[in-house]
Amino acid sequence: MSENNPGEPVAGVRDLSRRRFVLRSLAALGGTIAAALGLPVLAFGSAQGWQWKEDAPAELIETSVPPTLLSDAWTPVGSLLDFEVGVPKYVIVDRPVVDGWVRADAPIGVYVVRKSDTEAVVFDPHCTHLGCPLTATPGSNAFVCPCHGGSFDTDGDVTSGPPPHPMFRYEVRVDGGAIVIGELEAEA
Amino acid sequence: MGRIGRWFDERLQLSPLFASFVDRKVPGNIGWFQTLGSATLFLLVVQIVTGIALTLSYAPTPSDAYESVLYIDSTPFGALVRGIHHWSAGLLVLFIGLHTLRVFIWGAHRYPRELTWVIGALLFLVVLGFAFTGYLLPWDQKAYWATVVGTNIAGAAPFIGDSVLVLLRGGEQLGAATLARFYGIHIWVLPASLLVLVGIHLFAVVRQGIAASPRWKPIVAPEPGLSRREAYEREYAAEKTSGKPFWHALIKDGIVAVILLVVIFTLAVGPGAPLEARADPNATNYVPRPEWYFLDLFQLLWYFTGDQEPLVIFLVFTVASLIFVLVPFVDRGNARHPLRRPFAMVLTGAVVLGVVGLTYLGATGTPAGVVKIPATAGMTPAQLSGLEVFNTTGCTSCHQIHGLGGHTGPDLSKAGFRWEAADIRQQIVTPKDEEMPSYSGLADQQLNDLLEYLTSLK
Repeated sequence: MSENNPGEPVAGVRDLSRRRFVLRSLAALGGTIAAALGLPVLAFGSAQGWQWKEDAPAELIETSVPPTLLSDAWTPVGSLLDFEVGVPKYVIVDRPVVDGWVRADAPIGVYVVRKSDTEAVVFDPHCTHLGCPLTATPGSNAFVCPCHGGSFDTDGDVTSGPPPHPMFRYEVRVDGGAIVIGELEAEA
Repeated sequence: MGRIGRWFDERLQLSPLFASFVDRKVPGNIGWFQTLGSATLFLLVVQIVTGIALTLSYAPTPSDAYESVLYIDSTPFGALVRGIHHWSAGLLVLFIGLHTLRVFIWGAHRYPRELTWVIGALLFLVVLGFAFTGYLLPWDQKAYWATVVGTNIAGAAPFIGDSVLVLLRGGEQLGAATLARFYGIHIWVLPASLLVLVGIHLFAVVRQGIAASPRWKPIVAPEPGLSRREAYEREYAAEKTSGKPFWHALIKDGIVAVILLVVIFTLAVGPGAPLEARADPNATNYVPRPEWYFLDLFQLLWYFTGDQEPLVIFLVFTVASLIFVLVPFVDRGNARHPLRRPFAMVLTGAVVLGVVGLTYLGATGTPAGVVKIPATAGMTPAQLSGLEVFNTTGCTSCHQIHGLGGHTGPDLSKAGFRWEAADIRQQIVTPKDEEMPSYSGLADQQLNDLLEYLTSLK
């Protein structure tokens, strides 16, 4: 409450009660305006979080550990005979991806391991722990992560370190000798 | 004051405010350590000024970000401004840490400055947020991979991790939406919070006055029956009576600012701001390493894996941050002198030692899969294939042989001399030590070869 300066009129009881009413109403009005603006702003800013939560299958988040952009197209990665049985080979293919508002063909790297004359597995090249890039040391049959020492065998199974899941695989079809990959599988 | 100065002052009426600000008494025993706060403020101002300048030529999309940073570096003074922004950011993290440490050791978070601490601790977290969002922006290899790892660490938090990951990335994968989001947070959300918090922090510092350095004995003998407020006011009044005007303290602040500026310019002109190759999501030989101030956390994840990991992330992020912000309500009492708070000081020492130690280990550790132990003459085929297993399944990331390899696990240069084959086998398949991962997935042949190799080391 302000002190009374000489010459200024002294506020009466009626004035004080009006003053309180006006100030409280203004505070309530301010709160309403803040909520009217703030709620849509917060909801928009956090939409990805709750929108995702609503319709995401429980295991989907696992495919978010690798940063790889996803594609639902079928993409050939090479002829089965180009690969040696049991030896991982790194291949980069162009796939149609959606990245936010960008729809484009982007280069996507995959590890191809030929299993037999009719079969091959194709892995995403990222560690399932924190998404670091996996190295396939030449001559070895292992994928090693440089971040925390995780390693995987050529079946993609964890042989050491912190990775909580086997390596992520792509859906694979062998079409007339060509290896064709589909979606990244959430179930590792 | 000249004629022009008087013209303005008659209109703005600033000189009385200014005089009461610089002439107010502050305790006499404040010295160089109290300049850490003003140094932090100085670095923040440097960040804001250079950051605003950088936005004039930066484009926050994956297709343009890296090229726009190259463009900045090619424009006159662009590399300098970016260098200043980069180096003062690192110094800012360092100085806000030192400032926090100083305040805690001096006991300056205690009555009546609890709120100043809480706001300051929030500022510390905001600065870390700046650091985390800032280094994605150049969209180089370091930026991209550190963000992959960083968002995944947040995503491993229990319960809310999944939502946090998607929220941070602006989607499930890391790409255009992530960069736009980090940019918006770095340029608008955090600076807005920063300005509000710094405003309250400085207001509180000026209103409460700078805390005097703690004394073993108070200047005024305590009188029974006084309230805490009365006792505090008597003591602080005595500190100010023997104190000095604020402008005296400003001399030291100015000197520190000049030294910092020289250091920043030297670093910005010399090494400059680093820029690695353009972010390549398909690189397989890149070794991700975070900026030095997150190395401790990165290193911590070596020791806690599996089910422990979400717990550690929860403890470090949520519990530790909460305790940090609420320090004044955890560390209670009136004594401010560090020697009267031995437990708090031992704990502080342990935390500092832990952070410095983990940072050092993280900075010097050898990445796995990079080191290869060479074969030596006269090895049998089984030993050679055992060595191959050793080199390719991640053993070298923790174990050293003849000076090559990591330091986390025991040196195996004399493994065959120190242990029996059966013991080594057990330690590999069913380790007793928590830091040692189980290699039960090795094929029998691989395991036998590996043992053949290890037992040959004498």
